[in-house]
Amino acid sequence: MIEVKNLTKRYGTKLALDHVSFTVEEGSIVGFLGPNGAGKSTTMNIVTGYLSATSGEVTVSGKNTLDEPNEVKRLIGYLPEIPPLYMDMTVKEYLNFMYELKKAKLPREQHLSEICRLVKIDDVYHRLIGNLSKGYKQRVGIAQALIGNPPVLILDEPTVGLDPKQIIEIRTLIKNLGKNHTVILSSHILSEVQAVCERIIVINNGRLVADGATDTLAHDLSKDHRLLLRAEAPERELLHALKGLPHVLEVESLGEKEPGVFEMTVESEPNADLRRDIFLLLARKGWPMLAMKNMDLTLEDLFLQLTSSDAAYVPSSEEDFSDKEENTEQGGQEE
Amino acid sequence: MSAIFKRELRSYFNAPVGYVCIAVLAALYGLFYYQVMVLGSSSYISQVYNTMFSFSMMVIPIITMRSMTDDQKNKTDQVLLTAPVGVTSIVMGKFLSCFFVFFIASSLGLLPAVAMSFFSSPAWGEIIGNYLGTLLYGGAMISIGVFISSLTVSQIIAAIGTFVVAVLLMFIDSLATAVSNQVIIALVGWISFNTRYTTFTQGIFSVSSTVFFLSVMAVFVFLTARRLESRRWN
Repeated sequence: MIEVKNLTKRYGTKLALDHVSFTVEEGSIVGFLGPNGAGKSTTMNIVTGYLSATSGEVTVSGKNTLDEPNEVKRLIGYLPEIPPLYMDMTVKEYLNFMYELKKAKLPREQHLSEICRLVKIDDVYHRLIGNLSKGYKQRVGIAQALIGNPPVLILDEPTVGLDPKQIIEIRTLIKNLGKNHTVILSSHILSEVQAVCERIIVINNGRLVADGATDTLAHDLSKDHRLLLRAEAPERELLHALKGLPHVLEVESLGEKEPGVFEMTVESEPNADLRRDIFLLLARKGWPMLAMKNMDLTLEDLFLQLTSSDAAYVPSSEEDFSDKEENTEQGGQEE
Repeated sequence: MSAIFKRELRSYFNAPVGYVCIAVLAALYGLFYYQVMVLGSSSYISQVYNTMFSFSMMVIPIITMRSMTDDQKNKTDQVLLTAPVGVTSIVMGKFLSCFFVFFIASSLGLLPAVAMSFFSSPAWGEIIGNYLGTLLYGGAMISIGVFISSLTVSQIIAAIGTFVVAVLLMFIDSLATAVSNQVIIALVGWISFNTRYTTFTQGIFSVSSTVFFLSVMAVFVFLTARRLESRRWN
């Protein structure tokens, strides 16, 4: 549906996008992740035709954005980072204006009232946009993107400024839309991407650093395959018994967490699943197992790992190192 | 184009700016008609339009100052540029809405003449000629104003910039008297809005001036569209 090839964008000397390529299948929901200034919005702006790429090309449904710009724009509904609203219009006037601007062909009254019902802006339909709260403005922005029922929806941080209840509503809406639309959305909120998207594309410093299905991305990218185990057992014996299991590479005790309860990490060979063996071992020995979980990276760990890779170069002096640490800390807080 | 035209026109009358510009110009038309016709007991209508030339040129920057600046500032240009319309249609919609405000104001300027026609027979040929001339130089000045507003995000800078250009175009021929170089004089006479417009006040429908004003509109609408397009490539 959407094919992005070797997209490069320069702002003066700054390289905002560096040979980004990906494809999005029809009817899928793809999440764009990345820290501030990573190039998410730039990518979206290029796909929608608001900006031009320095090099590379974008095709939507087989149509090139440069050769047939109006055809491509007709296929895309776009919610930019800042909702493009005219403050001096009422919601009704604005949606009618957008309807005409997009040259939509659907029956107007019916189409607009359906959209209003979907994003729940019925009750502010006759109010001035300038007087609406941020959450309502955001929803009017989403409504605008839905006008004309475009097959592709590109949403730049669609849930910003909404209250938790609205966020859930909008996520459900996006999920439902994803059934018969192709959706690309960007977000800072990792759990949101995890909840809504089937696939995640991570961008950092203008480069595509990861691309994969939401469920498997974390597991595939985890470098180590460790289990965290908590059991009520004598420490030494437990260590010894675990080391005796097949496919175990390393066992490390993390100490006594509760009286008589020890926590251990068990590292296995890649592609080996130790969970059943450990359970049976402990059962045989009569040691109660209190917890066991995979130490796969969470999406959060993954995000931090992927987006801080540029900070991992060897510092030339100690001063540099401390600077770097401070920077990453600040960066982390911002996210 | 029509969607943008309608929206822009509506926004002029959602805010006071449209009413104010129209009211000021209509009031001035009334005042000068009164001054020339009643107080001066003269039928020299061109004098009204000659004076109104300066005032119209000064009001136009107020009309055009927000045309392209607001969209850039409020990021609403994203919606226009990602909609299936060309940049030229966007600019034409904006230009026509500004022009329509000016058109309303200039048309209201005909009211004194209409009122007079109940009691006498005004020289309609001369009035219509002046009216058309007003619309032509107005359109040309508006296209320049729209272009200047596309260069900045600040309404104030757009207004002042357009105002400076308007003053320059108004008084450029008086500057020409200070130089003796024939080429410069010819050149100034060629671009001076005042000189171009004067032929209309004399009751002559000048084809070359009409073509000149229409060309100015076309060139600046084109330049504004290029400017809008170039922003995508920065």
